[in-house]
Amino acid sequence: MERQEILDGLIEVLKTIRTIDPERLVGVTEETDFLTDLSTPSTELINIAAKVEHKFDIEFDDDDIDHMGSKVKDIIDLIIMVKARGENE
Amino acid sequence: MQVAGRKVAVVGMGGAFPACKDLNEFDQKLFTNQSLVRQWDLAVQYEKQIRSTVSGYITEAEMGLEAVWAPITEKYPETYIDTLGRIPDANLSTADMGSIWAMLGAQEATTMAGWTKAEIESEQTGVVVGSGGAGNQILRVAWHYFFQMGKKARIAGAHTVDRSMSYREAANISCLLKTKGVCESITSACATGLGNIGHAYRLIKFGLQDRAIAGGVEGTALETFIGFDGMMILSKGFSPAESSRPFDIHRNGFVCSFGAGIVALEEYEMAKARGANIIGVINEYFNNSDGDGDMFYPSFAGQQRLWKGLLPDKGLRPDVVKMHGTSTPVGDSVELLSVVDALGDEGYHMSAPKSQFGHMLGGAGSVELITALLMLKNQQVLPCLNSETLNPELEGFQKNENWTGPDKPLAAYRHLVPQKAFAKEINRIACLNYGFGGTNSAMLVSRDI
Repeated sequence: MERQEILDGLIEVLKTIRTIDPERLVGVTEETDFLTDLSTPSTELINIAAKVEHKFDIEFDDDDIDHMGSKVKDIIDLIIMVKARGENE
Repeated sequence: MQVAGRKVAVVGMGGAFPACKDLNEFDQKLFTNQSLVRQWDLAVQYEKQIRSTVSGYITEAEMGLEAVWAPITEKYPETYIDTLGRIPDANLSTADMGSIWAMLGAQEATTMAGWTKAEIESEQTGVVVGSGGAGNQILRVAWHYFFQMGKKARIAGAHTVDRSMSYREAANISCLLKTKGVCESITSACATGLGNIGHAYRLIKFGLQDRAIAGGVEGTALETFIGFDGMMILSKGFSPAESSRPFDIHRNGFVCSFGAGIVALEEYEMAKARGANIIGVINEYFNNSDGDGDMFYPSFAGQQRLWKGLLPDKGLRPDVVKMHGTSTPVGDSVELLSVVDALGDEGYHMSAPKSQFGHMLGGAGSVELITALLMLKNQQVLPCLNSETLNPELEGFQKNENWTGPDKPLAAYRHLVPQKAFAKEINRIACLNYGFGGTNSAMLVSRDI
């Protein structure tokens, strides 16, 4: 799965998070920070993670989320890593 | 301790009311003797699983709300959209249905009060609001997916706690309005609504706060309804409008309903000084417990002590008693006779608003206080709808040799129980509410005269 494809899917997830201003989703890049750029309440990161699991048919370990950074690229890296982990099992 | 000379005024009110778009419609429907109880489609669809199917419920659409259904968990309102743009999305995300009603009621009450932004955000403005049940609709889904489906705890999202915790309504109001004073909840089953307002009254009376947003809530939830349905104490066998029938000989249970009542309280002299509209003045609040070890059965002695505490000065007599009047067989008769024991059999009337909208549980006491304030405004007594026939025979407990109360049957007091709203001079109203566990609460509220 290409990074751009994951980014597009991630933006679809973010559109369902009503505490994120939709206008801020225009021009989201991998460097966008959920907390500082999108003003996402920190509690919503858990909701985003749960929805990402559903969207990409993966399951994060608790440690994965504990150590996840707050930038878009961090969650994309995590999705790729978890998908690879699943394929190797 | 009470601070001498300090009084408490009601300066605003709002909330959520069954089959009504706002307080004005609620006012109009009540005083034209209408019932707000309806057949509840949601209950009907469970067919034989459920015994009672009538309720004074409120739909999301009636409150200008739309559920956002979670993509992962079925039939779970992940959050709500306020189609009228009253509550920001961030506040909606931390609220269950009842908490949204509480926020809307608080907005209405503080707007009616005319408080400035600085007054609302003051350290002298408290929030005391609670509900009878937990956030049952939210918890059911979280627990189901964890325990039955074996899913991760996070599957229900990160807002299970803030949307279900005991004082979620107070917390959501405070976060919305940015109040800086006391923020807490009193929970006392069906006395919750009046209990919260009573506690807020004391905070002001005792000099701890100058203003308070206070009330009680019970958000629409079939999860809450079925608990009472399982106890087989809900009304059955009547048309919706005839289901809630306090004091009638054929009553067989209460109508489980939902709603919210929020009032804005202010220290009387401060309210007067700024020219506020004084909707009512709280003269007294008193609460106690039966102390007889019985979780459910009402206590005549407990209610006698309640009246003694409410009216230490016999000079203050109510013109109307706003009854708890649930339409349950024993509760209504004990209550009616305890009122007669305290006040005699003339010079006042009994009003039972639950006959019009059912029993709102944690919201009952506060919504019914609002009905009392409307009675003061309109100078009309609200009825006991459907109280067609009062028992001409003595109640079983009246035949007990230890009975010390009135020795006439309920029918002897027919003249105190109106079946239609009617006009009379009303200067003072006593409001009564009781709850499981033997908790009793009473408030005396008067016109500003």
